[in-house]
Amino acid sequence: MVARRIPSLLIATAAALAAPASRAAAQDAAEGVLRRYCLACHRGDDAEADVQLDGLAALPPAERTDLIDRVREMLRFGEMPPEDEPQPTPAERAHLETWLEAQSDARVVREKLRHPHYGNVVDHDQLFSAAPAEPAFTPSRRWLVNPQIFHERVMDVFKLQGRDRDNQQHRGFAGVTNPFVLPDRSGVRDYDLDALDGGDLLVMLGNARWIADRQLLMARRLGGERDIAFADKRDRWMPRQIAATYQAFTEVVQSDEAPTPPQRDAAIAEQFDCVLRRAPTAPELDRYRALFDAATALSGPVAGLRQLLVAVLLESEFVYRLEFGDGAPDEHGRKRLGGREAAYAISYAIGDRRPDEALLAAADDGGLATREDYAREVRRLLADERYYRGQVDPSLNGKHYRSNVTSHPKLVRFFREFFGYTGATKVFKDPPRSGAIYQNPGRGTVGTPGRLILETDRIVTRFVDADREVFRELLTSDQFFVYHDKSNQAGQDVLDDWRSVYERLKDTDWIRQPQQVLDQHLDFLKTVKSMRVRDNSRPGELVNYMHFFTEHFGRGVNPFTTVPWAHGYTFHHAPLYNLPPTPRISRYGSWKSTKYTGEKVEPRQFWSYPAAQPFSIEHRKGLLTHPSWLIAHSTNFHPDPIRRGRWIREKLLAGRVPDVPITVDAQVPDDPHRTFRQRVEDVTEPRECARCHRHMNPLGLPFEAFDDFGRFRTVESMEHPDNLLDKGNGKTTFDVYPTEPVVTTGRLDGTGDPALDGPVADPLELIDRLSRSDRVRQSILRHAFRFFLGRNELLSDAQTLRDADRAYVESGGSFRAVVVTLLSSDSFRYRKDLDK
Amino acid sequence: MNTRRDFLRTSLFGASALALLDRRGLLAAPAAASGAPPMRFVFLHRGNGLWPKVMVPPSFDKPTMEKERRKEAYSVDLDGHELPAWLQPVAKHVDQLTLLQGLSGKMCTTGHHSWCSSLGVYKANERLSSIRWATVDFELAKMFPSPAEHIELACFPLGGGNARGDLDGIATGFSARGPQQPNYAFGSPRVALEQLFKSVAADASAQADYALERRLLQFVAENEGRTASSLSGPEKAKVQGYADSLEAIRERNRKIDGMADRIRRHVPVLDEKLLTGDITTIERQQGHAEVLLGALISGLTNVAAFTVDELGHVYTGIDGIEDQKVNMHDVGHNKSFGGVAAPEIRARARTHHMRLMDTIVSRLKSVPEGDGTMFDNTFVCYFPDGGETHHSHGVEYPFVVLAGKNAKLQLGRRYIRLPKYGAQGHKTLGNFYTTLLNAYGNPIEHFGALDTGLDKFGVDQRGPIEALLA
Repeated sequence: MVARRIPSLLIATAAALAAPASRAAAQDAAEGVLRRYCLACHRGDDAEADVQLDGLAALPPAERTDLIDRVREMLRFGEMPPEDEPQPTPAERAHLETWLEAQSDARVVREKLRHPHYGNVVDHDQLFSAAPAEPAFTPSRRWLVNPQIFHERVMDVFKLQGRDRDNQQHRGFAGVTNPFVLPDRSGVRDYDLDALDGGDLLVMLGNARWIADRQLLMARRLGGERDIAFADKRDRWMPRQIAATYQAFTEVVQSDEAPTPPQRDAAIAEQFDCVLRRAPTAPELDRYRALFDAATALSGPVAGLRQLLVAVLLESEFVYRLEFGDGAPDEHGRKRLGGREAAYAISYAIGDRRPDEALLAAADDGGLATREDYAREVRRLLADERYYRGQVDPSLNGKHYRSNVTSHPKLVRFFREFFGYTGATKVFKDPPRSGAIYQNPGRGTVGTPGRLILETDRIVTRFVDADREVFRELLTSDQFFVYHDKSNQAGQDVLDDWRSVYERLKDTDWIRQPQQVLDQHLDFLKTVKSMRVRDNSRPGELVNYMHFFTEHFGRGVNPFTTVPWAHGYTFHHAPLYNLPPTPRISRYGSWKSTKYTGEKVEPRQFWSYPAAQPFSIEHRKGLLTHPSWLIAHSTNFHPDPIRRGRWIREKLLAGRVPDVPITVDAQVPDDPHRTFRQRVEDVTEPRECARCHRHMNPLGLPFEAFDDFGRFRTVESMEHPDNLLDKGNGKTTFDVYPTEPVVTTGRLDGTGDPALDGPVADPLELIDRLSRSDRVRQSILRHAFRFFLGRNELLSDAQTLRDADRAYVESGGSFRAVVVTLLSSDSFRYRKDLDK
Repeated sequence: MNTRRDFLRTSLFGASALALLDRRGLLAAPAAASGAPPMRFVFLHRGNGLWPKVMVPPSFDKPTMEKERRKEAYSVDLDGHELPAWLQPVAKHVDQLTLLQGLSGKMCTTGHHSWCSSLGVYKANERLSSIRWATVDFELAKMFPSPAEHIELACFPLGGGNARGDLDGIATGFSARGPQQPNYAFGSPRVALEQLFKSVAADASAQADYALERRLLQFVAENEGRTASSLSGPEKAKVQGYADSLEAIRERNRKIDGMADRIRRHVPVLDEKLLTGDITTIERQQGHAEVLLGALISGLTNVAAFTVDELGHVYTGIDGIEDQKVNMHDVGHNKSFGGVAAPEIRARARTHHMRLMDTIVSRLKSVPEGDGTMFDNTFVCYFPDGGETHHSHGVEYPFVVLAGKNAKLQLGRRYIRLPKYGAQGHKTLGNFYTTLLNAYGNPIEHFGALDTGLDKFGVDQRGPIEALLA
């Protein structure tokens, strides 16, 4: 019975038909494996778990592929057959795997594998060990521009250059809304999958009209009109330098009569150049002529021109990156990117900016043809400290803090997306649980997580700039930046200034006679630039400073170089790194007051601020122990060992974890007598749960050494209403609960290296071993590939990844060497139309 | 980036450009039964908080007042009770009136400004990324499709931390069309009138503009359709959706054109003064109410959001102090203007808001529909965008609700105080909006973010308020 039914499962596929003899052998082998190990349970209407393998052939392609995926996943994770049933040999598993692959609908598989969630489906060992399947290429595509590129394109429409462009680099246009927001997920965010939709259209309609109106005003200004009437007096932006080519528009707007055909055609060509960076085709020219003429006939030449400007701005091509290749296909059906396509692809990959003049010249002169051409230009641009220079993330800017500026912000952004630490802003915390030091993001502020993200960016920037053993440093360095809002030298200068003031005034009667002391020492104080004393009107501020100095210098420690009564001061998070606190403004009052409340509260030992940073912090090793990463991978009230473990499995070990079945209500139960780890283990212990959790929990549970605010701990506070020992007011006193020791053991598996896999005592040991793994290095490279190519890797990209790996190792861990390799690879340079 | 000023000037395609352009919206089955009139929803919200104490009818007896003081749960039939003075303008509608107290919204941004928090039930701010999903009014608009889908009118703030550039502009509103998609609101009744009703404009220049917009849309739609037709697979999808969206606008425009007679009959007639820029807040609100009514009655939309004021709005034209520019933030800090104490200024503003409610309800009651009137199929509510007071914490969001007989909710002639914050049975804004959505057929388990602070009280936050479901 079984033997009769199995052949009906087989579906002729191109791959299977390629070699009839081997196909028959594979079929026989697969039949045997299925018969021996699967069909006893998975056939007929009462098949286990509703997985009916004898009905495979009858399923539509998409459903069949889904079912095969599930079966393959079970095999891959070793979930089936069940442990207490006979197991197939490795060879039998391989036979079945090969056969199943052949049964999948290639188009459906290809579509699924494009999505970020399926990034790790392509077998890691095959990518880095087996012979490449075919020459590398990227499917021909439209790639929706990301928010930064969109802004660049708007600037291109206005043809901004020099200062005009620099001024707008981090500034929006009043009437332009960026329609694109990258998805909010940990991991690479900018894939080539997204499509324009109705919401985008709505925004584009608004943008097009504003941009067109501003182009018309620019045309008037170019024509000599000085008295430009702005519709909104608050929106008077106009570039200093208007491109001479806008003259094509000027000739139309300054004419009372219908433009001549050459004038009309020149305007069409100019708008195509502004918006689409190319000339119109002949059919396009005909269509736009008709549009222009009809509008002109109805409402005059300006209306005709506006109609043209808006229509071109609404071309979907304006917001897509078109990468289809140029010239005749090679023997593999691949086309090389055209010169301009290549120039834009390279420049957008390195920095989200349009190509510089040299790159465009290379493109136009045939200087972007070979792998060496690409590598030369990429190296040149990576060595250019100025062209892409900018802030890592201006959206985090707030009062008194700015995202750090670096030569190649996009390289830093890769690691931000890869580690996903920016997710810290999305997790809402109960501030009293932090000792009232945590500030959630709110109106106009990104709160404590925003500051932690900036401090993490500093670390990433440092190692990206140093470009030596980048991955290992990011995973293992114990060097951190905390509160570092001045350069090392500027911070030391402030400390030296303040110490001199303290030494000079400490023995005066500044507490009882502050005005007198201020008067007597005013000339000296005016020379202390960091105190900004201008006159003798602020004795209260002198009192504040002196209390502040006494509590630091007087106790042998350095104060933080920004005073807590500074406007907008929000530095309170040092304890999240297990550092002592810094004083709060409430201790001193404002500068207007000479009152001091510090003595009324328990004297505290404050953090001795290191002006020279980065500096070493105990119990920390790399970004996985940074509070930003730990908070990003936590819940409102607890650490999240499952997400932390999943992150390591997927991001560092190139592994996969099955999705949570929809029947599972993934909740950790409440129990006042059990630690969080115990409760996680209790709920994930049953076999059907452990099936997935064994891939995550052993990797995530060592991070129980840190609480959900990222604080290192040896005991867990048993927070539960039943355990409350002492109720706090949430501002100066806090709820007290009994504690239990934290267990930080875990287990590493999946590196493929027996010397590294095995039990670990704590997160630092886990991190140390991960950092030494070839697989971890290669997993990071796979994600870098996705970031720069905008898609998941395929088996055909194997050579590209191996080249990148070799480049990284041979260069001593240079990330720039990886970028050069990726951006000069066949994967990057070739396009192939898979729909033909 | 910045707001879309001139949004409706950018609305090349008339009223429909404010509509949701989701193709699915066009295809969605209306929640109303075939042939039955659709349900309409009007959300009026105001800044500076609404004090729970002013909601309480003075005629309540002592035991009831004591329950009120302790914020215990109770419900009272308003029949025979005296409404607070500021509610007198809607006293004639008492049979349809519900005063709902005790909803909390601590999962929202509270305090001075709340952006789309109070309609979306999540913490929102000026950053697009803070908009997590469509606000409840847009969810309802999807269930009761209309050519314009949704309209939003506002008396914009010009100061504070939430300023818009221009009172008369078209700027980011307080509703959201979807994740990271703010809606845009009309600040000026005149502009709203011109843009929403431009398809039936009498002015020759406006007609020419309208024709140009239609032709441009046709051109772009054909262009993109041509591109899409030459593609296949995923690449086709990347253009086809855009082309379809363009077609969707055209389809909506065709619907609007087909309704021209009806729209023309209900074009609001605004007072001459409202057509100039120099109008008081009170006049602006009246003008917005007229536009809102015109849009509802003509069938352009079934859902309207109306920001009657916001904390950063400088009020003008308040009864008795018409010559004063009243900074509502200062009123929140108890400052007097023109010799009138802050609580009294609040009361006069509230009273005017109730006059607007009366205008809306009375007018809808005058429009026959089916066996009754248009108001039978209408739900109107008034609530604060930030909660219980000027510096609010979101402990209470008082609601004044006027709902017609087909509203599918257990409302009408009632004062309802729900269990207080933290008590068993306590309900949130999310529960209330879930009730609305469930009542009209959206089966969502829970609308809005959860309040993590309620967890420690063991309050089940999910789901509708069963007692309000008919």
